[in-house]
Amino acid sequence: MQRTTHFRTGAILFLLPALLLFAAFFLYPVGYVVVVSLLNWDGMSSPGFAGLRNYSALFHDEVFRISIRNNLIWAFAEALIQVPLAIVVALLLARKPKGWKLLRTIYFFPHVISGIAITMLWGAIYNNERGLLNGFLRLIGLSEWEHNWLGGLGSAFPSVLVYGLLYIGYFMVIILADISSVSQSYYEAASIDGATRTQQDWHITLPLIRGTIATCVTLAMVNGLRQFEQVLLLTNGGPANSTSVLVLYLYKELQNFHYGTANALGTVLIVLGGLVILTVRRLFNAAKYDM
Amino acid sequence: MKKRTLLLTLPAILLVFSILLSACGENAKSGEASEIEIKFPSIWVAKDSKAATFAQIVKDFNEQNQGKIKVVVEEIPDYAAYKDKIRTNITTGTTPDIFSFDNPADGEFYYKSGNLADLTPYLDEQWKSTFLDHAFDNATYDGKVYSIPFEFGVTPVLYNTKLFKQAGITGFPKTYTELFAAFDKLKAAGIAPATQMTGGDGWVSMLWYSQLVSAIGGPDVYKHGLDDPAFVQAAEVLKKLFDYTTGDAVGLDNAGGHFLNQQTAVLLNGPWFIGRIKKEGIDQLYDSVEVAPAPVYEGGKGQPGQYVGFTQASLAVGKQKDKKKEEAIVKFLKYLTSPDNVKKISLDSGSLFVIKYEVTKDDKVERLQTEMKKGMEAAPYIIPHFRASVSPAVGAEFPQALSGLVLGKYTPEQFVEQLKQAESK
Repeated sequence: MQRTTHFRTGAILFLLPALLLFAAFFLYPVGYVVVVSLLNWDGMSSPGFAGLRNYSALFHDEVFRISIRNNLIWAFAEALIQVPLAIVVALLLARKPKGWKLLRTIYFFPHVISGIAITMLWGAIYNNERGLLNGFLRLIGLSEWEHNWLGGLGSAFPSVLVYGLLYIGYFMVIILADISSVSQSYYEAASIDGATRTQQDWHITLPLIRGTIATCVTLAMVNGLRQFEQVLLLTNGGPANSTSVLVLYLYKELQNFHYGTANALGTVLIVLGGLVILTVRRLFNAAKYDM
Repeated sequence: MKKRTLLLTLPAILLVFSILLSACGENAKSGEASEIEIKFPSIWVAKDSKAATFAQIVKDFNEQNQGKIKVVVEEIPDYAAYKDKIRTNITTGTTPDIFSFDNPADGEFYYKSGNLADLTPYLDEQWKSTFLDHAFDNATYDGKVYSIPFEFGVTPVLYNTKLFKQAGITGFPKTYTELFAAFDKLKAAGIAPATQMTGGDGWVSMLWYSQLVSAIGGPDVYKHGLDDPAFVQAAEVLKKLFDYTTGDAVGLDNAGGHFLNQQTAVLLNGPWFIGRIKKEGIDQLYDSVEVAPAPVYEGGKGQPGQYVGFTQASLAVGKQKDKKKEEAIVKFLKYLTSPDNVKKISLDSGSLFVIKYEVTKDDKVERLQTEMKKGMEAAPYIIPHFRASVSPAVGAEFPQALSGLVLGKYTPEQFVEQLKQAESK
């Protein structure tokens, strides 16, 4: 008994600094966001209580609907395209073909460069007048396909979204690391039983790295919800708000002196993030994998 | 066991406290000195065209008031960061002693915070007489002057006479009918007539819209809010103007690039662009650029020669507890805005100001700047641009609504509706 009390006091004392920091830098700001979301406030003059009016205004707002839709497309595109691509590449690299280390570095390399630099690079590729993409289309005789990629109502959002999906290096490295921790004995046993490489991947590797895949899916989806600089730099949400996402919308509302609405958007984002994490955990039954 | 735990935990707790305490510690120092220190976070630093002259003026002032007043400039060259900083400061009640802001529409929000000093008592007739008439119209709120207008921008038409000649056009069109006829000629000659843009804040197209709105609705158009039919009519013409621009206009956010490369013949912009024409323009571009007022809209209420002009930088003072400090700040403001100093900055940078000064024959005055100034002085009235006349939310929605209009998602009526919705949020 005596020991347990000691242990508890010790544990509490150990946790206290972290708890204080957590409260100061997470709980307090999040609470503040929720409180401000209930106010009618321009950030300058004294605030008034608005109840849920900021939220009901949001749900009647076209830009909000577009932003939510875009964020969900983004989250699912990352989970259903980017992560599977990363898994396939990781499985192939795990077979250690010739030059796999070089390939691993090449795939990971974009993550070393600032995302802003890459985004600006793609801005130059999509450029209507001098861009590589239109230049390439002209070169192969498809000049009728030339397009103002970031300036079309239909093409702007796919253009902003799609290139990010190609950068799979981050998830690939995580998955590759997990694959290498799978014991070789499983594979030896399987090959004695005559299982092909593909069968081994499907029946041994994939089930064993499920926890990591769940982590990657969560990270990818949360990433999709947090999108900001890609849109800000390429289109600033345009044309006609068709590429808007929640964080960009939040940022603009702050600039517009709509602090209440901006914080309501922040609350929606927190809730969405929580929902995504819960759903993925459910789907992968991941609680037992120590995510 | 317990001792060790405590030993390990203590430093962490101390760290947290020291972080919390360090925030309070800073204030203690400033009160002691007998010299009044004025903090001025400024954007007129680094590569800004006003930087060198501005720094010299601050230095001179500090020398003249040695031991009594010292202006300390905090250099923030990035405008977006500057804006964020000022807003945070005002919201948290740590408003800087002096700061500047660009859009009068923002100034109203700053004033409402109650953290700005009321400058009305200091604005005697003598000081006021050095400013242009109506300079304080946008700086007055609730009958009080809450900021000193400083830098002024006008945005007439800049046009390329060489390209105009190529297309067989002489002089800049006086009416929109003539303008579209001239644009047809330019187009036929394979030249994109005018720069338009919907990217970023849609600056150049916003200026066209400003010209059109007042050409159609007259100088009082903003008094009726967005319900004035001029806003819909102006949108129709603006949409038509997009038939006469470059293919990348929707989404374009680099105002002026095409004009500098001589790919477009017309650009709306202000005196700050003169430096770019000289530095970044293709060979001899500067010599072929001329200035003109925007055309008249037939049947509209606007008058020929109208100019879009606006206070581009205002100076505001944070509320002071110490009357002496407030007086010291005003002393510096009077020095900075004195005709002599303003003349120095203006001649060095090419920028225009709302403060009057005399130019002698020996002064080296920029050709295009002089033309702009002449046009401005001859104008029957000067009207602020659209973004300065509406709420910040409407200004921010403008490029989005405009791209929708150009791409056919919105009719001109829906375009204005879209702007109204942004206001009501």
